[in-house]
Amino acid sequence: MTAMKPANPLEMVAFVLSQQIKDHQIIYVGTGLPMVAAILARKTHAPNITLVYESGGQNPIEGDMPWSVGDPFTWRKSPIIQEMSYSFAQAGNGYVDIGFLGFAQIDMYGNINTHMIGDSFLKPKSRLTGSGGNNDLSSLTENMVLVGIQNPDKFVKKVDFITSVGHLTGEDSRKKAGLLGNGPIAVVTNAGVYDFHPQSKRMRVKSLHLGVSFDLAQMATGFELLRPDDEDVPVTPSPTPEVLEVLRKKVDPHGVFTSIPGM
Amino acid sequence: MGKFSYNQEALKNLNIQDTKILDRLVDSESARQAHLKKDHSQRDKRVSLKEAIAEYVKDGDICTDAGFAYVRTSHQSYFEIMRQGKKDLQFIGSPNTNHTYMINNGHCKYSHNSYVGAEMRGTDRNYSRQLKEGRVTILSEWSHGSMAQGFKAAQLGLPGVFSKQLLGSDIVRHNPYVKVMQNPARDDHDPCVFIPALFPDVTIIHAQAADRCGNARIYGPIVNDAALAAAARKVIITAEEIVPESELRYNNKGVVIPFMYVDAVVELPFGAVPGNMPGHYYWSRQWWEKFLRLGTKNEDTMRDFLNEWVYGCKDQFEFVEKLGGAKWIASSKRLTRTAEYDNEDEGYDFSYTPFTPEKDPGIYY
Repeated sequence: MTAMKPANPLEMVAFVLSQQIKDHQIIYVGTGLPMVAAILARKTHAPNITLVYESGGQNPIEGDMPWSVGDPFTWRKSPIIQEMSYSFAQAGNGYVDIGFLGFAQIDMYGNINTHMIGDSFLKPKSRLTGSGGNNDLSSLTENMVLVGIQNPDKFVKKVDFITSVGHLTGEDSRKKAGLLGNGPIAVVTNAGVYDFHPQSKRMRVKSLHLGVSFDLAQMATGFELLRPDDEDVPVTPSPTPEVLEVLRKKVDPHGVFTSIPGM
Repeated sequence: MGKFSYNQEALKNLNIQDTKILDRLVDSESARQAHLKKDHSQRDKRVSLKEAIAEYVKDGDICTDAGFAYVRTSHQSYFEIMRQGKKDLQFIGSPNTNHTYMINNGHCKYSHNSYVGAEMRGTDRNYSRQLKEGRVTILSEWSHGSMAQGFKAAQLGLPGVFSKQLLGSDIVRHNPYVKVMQNPARDDHDPCVFIPALFPDVTIIHAQAADRCGNARIYGPIVNDAALAAAARKVIITAEEIVPESELRYNNKGVVIPFMYVDAVVELPFGAVPGNMPGHYYWSRQWWEKFLRLGTKNEDTMRDFLNEWVYGCKDQFEFVEKLGGAKWIASSKRLTRTAEYDNEDEGYDFSYTPFTPEKDPGIYY
């Protein structure tokens, strides 16, 4: 038997995201890596979770990877499909435990931008998608996990537009603004896993992936990262060969979201 | 002084001088009057798509993007709006994916956005370019859920709702309709966002089935459409099939739009092509990739793309022929029925050759 190739960066992110999920939770997912992570969690350590999608699909039976959050695979034989206003209300009413969101930019308080790049809203350098459900989930969900690529263009001092509030200006500013839930509890990137300091709510290294030093992570970040309490930065655990096999054979067999050409 | 009170910071940030253009979306009285003036009788409302669009979509109207971006969305009706040369429309929708291709030739001039683009197909370069060149004006910025609450408030007959969304974000500073307010039911500090009920002028909803009076059945995600039908001043229902009223009486599952909202009923098989129509056909995934990866690249590619697929097609049947005709129909039906698990999935493969600018497989199914 040939040895299994180690996890590529996308597989690593999917695995780390799956580790944020606990059994019996209700998970609000978008397409892409969060969906891969949720299905991986269900097939490994969390078989009793329920997936909720923006299309209103709930708890679909197992099938292929959806091509979109509106894909029939997101509501495949769902006992109920919620209208959009009700679907987000689930998060507001406490029927969503954890949600996953992507970003184009993020700041040290976990505020995120998916609206535009540039300094003029009316004439942006680049107009992006806007909120979609990003703001709704950030505003309402008990625990948010943010996921994206880490570089100084994305990890910035100040986001060009606050699409969704994380910890706003730190301390208890999120709560004062009237928002629900704990806000972001983790940021997962190709370099590491971050959490937020309990008081200041500034982004802090929790662990870095194998081969990534604190200095390297800092170089990929446009603001000052906080160090973890431990003197040595923990290394993010990698997936076991068994988990990798589930990911490759049963979760994303065509490598739609987790393959990197040439790897 | 006008009748409506707008968020001044947002007016400034969006550079909106004359607020008259904003009024109709929140004018509940005029929507109510429009609803009262309709012929409320149960009558045969069937017309052709051409007639429905000519009669009920007027230049400058606030139109909706219904369904879910490209799921059960009235693409073929939008294409007819374009072929009829309608002008200066406002578009509102969560998502608001489709108005981008109506901007280039002036069919649509105004956005009420919660989302533009099409997920991982890539950002919408055309929308970005039209915005920078001033061919489209953003009148309000939303999230999916907050806009959905505005439609839902209208359906419930309420002036609006107090929401916990948008707080602290820059969206509230770019939406003239919403205001941060203290929760009137509490004494402690509890900020909310007041979202007024939203009343578009015209909504076009594609349903799996409708009867001739307009009772309509939706299978799959309803998204905002039940609310939109209740709110809009004018409602066009297009449907894959027109069924006898008795069919909806004896099997009323999924009937979410009552006839009285509806002004026109159009029998429109393939009305959601090239989008996904649950129970009927899957997306043409390659078409959307081609549109976003090649069509939106620059003004020339957009012109060519729209000439080929919109202005150069007489109707949905010509469009389906271009996608591959009977082969496309059979394949896309199999795909969606399999995804919905109404067809056997064991051994069935969803993989396909995606469109890339370097390699056009030339196949749309």
